[in-house]
Amino acid sequence: MFKMSEYAFIASVLALSLALLCYIVAFVSARMGMARMQLAGAGGPSISTPGAGWASALATYGTLIVWLSFIFVSASLVFRTIALGHGPFANMYEFSVAFSWGTLGAYLYFERKYHLRTLGLIALPIALAMQGYALYLAATLPTTSDPLVPALQNNLLLSVHVAVAIVAYGTFSVAFGAALLYLIQPAEGRRGLPKPEILDEISYRAVIVGYPFLTLTIVLGAVWAEQAWGTYWGWDPKETASLVTWLIYGAYLHARVVRGWTGRRAAWLLMLGFGATLFTYFGNYFFGGLHSYAGLDQ
Amino acid sequence: MSEAIRPPARSGSSDLLDDFEGNNLKIGGFDVFERLWHLFISMRTGLALIFAIALCSFVGTMVAQVPQGMAEDKTAYAVWVDGLRPKYGGWTNIFDALGFYGVFSSWYYRGLVVLLSTSILACSINRAPKLWKQATNPRIAMSPGFYQHAALRASLTVPATLEQAQVAVQAQFKHGGYRTIVATSGSGVDIYADKFRWGPFGTVFAHLSIIAIILGAIAGSAGFRDTAFVAPVGSKVAVGNGTNLSIQATSFNDAYYESGQPADYVSHLVLFDGSNQVMEADVRVNQPMRYGDVSFYQSFFGGAAAVRVTDASGAVLYDQGVPLQFQSQSGSETIGQLFLPDRDLAIYVVTPASGRVDSTIKTGQLQFEVYKGTAQTMIGTQVVGPGKPVQIGDLTYTFVREQRFTGLIVARDPGANFVWLGAFLLVFGVGLVFFFPNRRIWARVRQGEDGTVIEAGALTRHDVMFEAAFAKLVTDVKLGLAGPSAS
Repeated sequence: MFKMSEYAFIASVLALSLALLCYIVAFVSARMGMARMQLAGAGGPSISTPGAGWASALATYGTLIVWLSFIFVSASLVFRTIALGHGPFANMYEFSVAFSWGTLGAYLYFERKYHLRTLGLIALPIALAMQGYALYLAATLPTTSDPLVPALQNNLLLSVHVAVAIVAYGTFSVAFGAALLYLIQPAEGRRGLPKPEILDEISYRAVIVGYPFLTLTIVLGAVWAEQAWGTYWGWDPKETASLVTWLIYGAYLHARVVRGWTGRRAAWLLMLGFGATLFTYFGNYFFGGLHSYAGLDQ
Repeated sequence: MSEAIRPPARSGSSDLLDDFEGNNLKIGGFDVFERLWHLFISMRTGLALIFAIALCSFVGTMVAQVPQGMAEDKTAYAVWVDGLRPKYGGWTNIFDALGFYGVFSSWYYRGLVVLLSTSILACSINRAPKLWKQATNPRIAMSPGFYQHAALRASLTVPATLEQAQVAVQAQFKHGGYRTIVATSGSGVDIYADKFRWGPFGTVFAHLSIIAIILGAIAGSAGFRDTAFVAPVGSKVAVGNGTNLSIQATSFNDAYYESGQPADYVSHLVLFDGSNQVMEADVRVNQPMRYGDVSFYQSFFGGAAAVRVTDASGAVLYDQGVPLQFQSQSGSETIGQLFLPDRDLAIYVVTPASGRVDSTIKTGQLQFEVYKGTAQTMIGTQVVGPGKPVQIGDLTYTFVREQRFTGLIVARDPGANFVWLGAFLLVFGVGLVFFFPNRRIWARVRQGEDGTVIEAGALTRHDVMFEAAFAKLVTDVKLGLAGPSAS
């Protein structure tokens, strides 16, 4: 099962690399075609709009390959879950595979809903970076997981607490991608990129999906901490970092909904929020604490 | 939290007890209470407080935090801070002066939490009545201007009677899961439709949940949390802290995987309430024992020495395990201590640390060091093997055998239920508001020159799903009434 999990993961990495290549080539081709049409006095397509000839077909294939990559990484997680008897979330290799799964899942969800493949130009590299990081860990450490240490011996909470976090991280990756695409455009938008107001909305929609999951992650973490560490809140650096992340996204939601912060200010807040998400995720490396078993001690 | 909205000025009030407006505290012409109220319900204030707390929390994450209880011991704290100098260099004292080593118990952190709680409470009080009115008594008829400027709007002219159009609109709303309220006037029919009208109350639940969690945390301070409760195997140890409980650990076992990683720590505990045995359980990490509102968690373990102390008449003064919790500075010995307050004696038991051969005490032996009074005057010291009594001063000391101790966290948290209630409300509230968004659509049906005119409008913009649902509703109404011309 471990071997099958590894093979499925490698297949996912290869598929994702290919999909990203398709997206980049399709986008660059569409931009070049658009520039030529501009010279000829006509508008041009982006990879989000069908009808741009082979570039559009390439983008469509790219999305299909993203789906394939998602299926492979899902299979990898399932095989590993069967092999371990609990969610494969006990070390950074497993977290990183799961993070890529969350990002791909969130991207595909929003891609289906809004038909904006350009979002993939940011979301897919994030997922691929996580997979590359997992590959690096797999190359430097054994890929079979040790049995759980006593603090982690709670299969239900280990599986649910981290799975819920992965959904939050995945949606925040998409929110970050949309916000970044927003920020690289001038106020009136840039041809070939999605309209700024749609990107603003996607960011918001992604956060309102992710925020309840982050809330649940923290609450489940508190439930688990009470059972394992004897207190529901111990100001452990990782839990405090997750609180900081929760506060930043909470501020974003309040600012956007009540004070009408849309556009650039909201997008910058999402940059900060995703920075906090990565800080929480990679925090094991530099702030230790009770979550330190989840580091490189695989 | 909500945006600050200035209430309309009250006028014509004459009730002496009901209207204190004229007597509000005014400083320099400003109404202090009103100013404070507007300050706390302002989203700007709320955001500033959230960012300030996030910033302080970030500092607390990055800078080492003093272990619980150490800050009160000035000497221990100074030693601990000195240990940080290689890490923080010249910043060490600056961080100390700024209170960065105890951010979460600092006055400014607590102050920010109090201010944010006040802001949350004020905003909830300010917002709840409006939400209630919106859910139970919404505005049904909108002005013609609304239908011309609403973010989402549609207008249909249909060859149907006013009643047929009304029925068709209501039917489509009902089909889409909307509740409808109809108001008929001389000029036509106004229809209000909504879905998930209780969704916005999720914000109230979520905000109040934070208050509940903070109150729970405050109430928790009335309990206790002993993180260093040590129970030598076989000995009965009082829990103290206002309880009548005592614990006897009958065994402790640790198991390891082949890789050397720990696999299991388990203590078998027997709990006594007074002299009655009330409970018995295996306690593991992740598997605490609970009795009433007191919980026992497996935390740490170590070696212990079973010691018996008798006086000249043979009376037993002490017959318990002494946990070897401390280490000598060189690390070559483990040390335990016991006190005989009636005799004003402090006795230290010292053994070679596991795996260390550089101790002057041989493996399997134990050294008794006996001191008297607060001046810690040494009475005597002797090294003995197991089972051999030795005389030090006027008492006889016996190292009975080696044993182990289990270290527990024992806690009673009277605020925990508040915290769990708050946590539940938080998840429930956040889920309610985001996964069940309130949808509101207004429609009106009027008799026009070319037929019956149906207009619809909604305030939500940039919500693709709602836009699609709105467009579908309009299309379905159009299809349901034959031969329309839409605009």
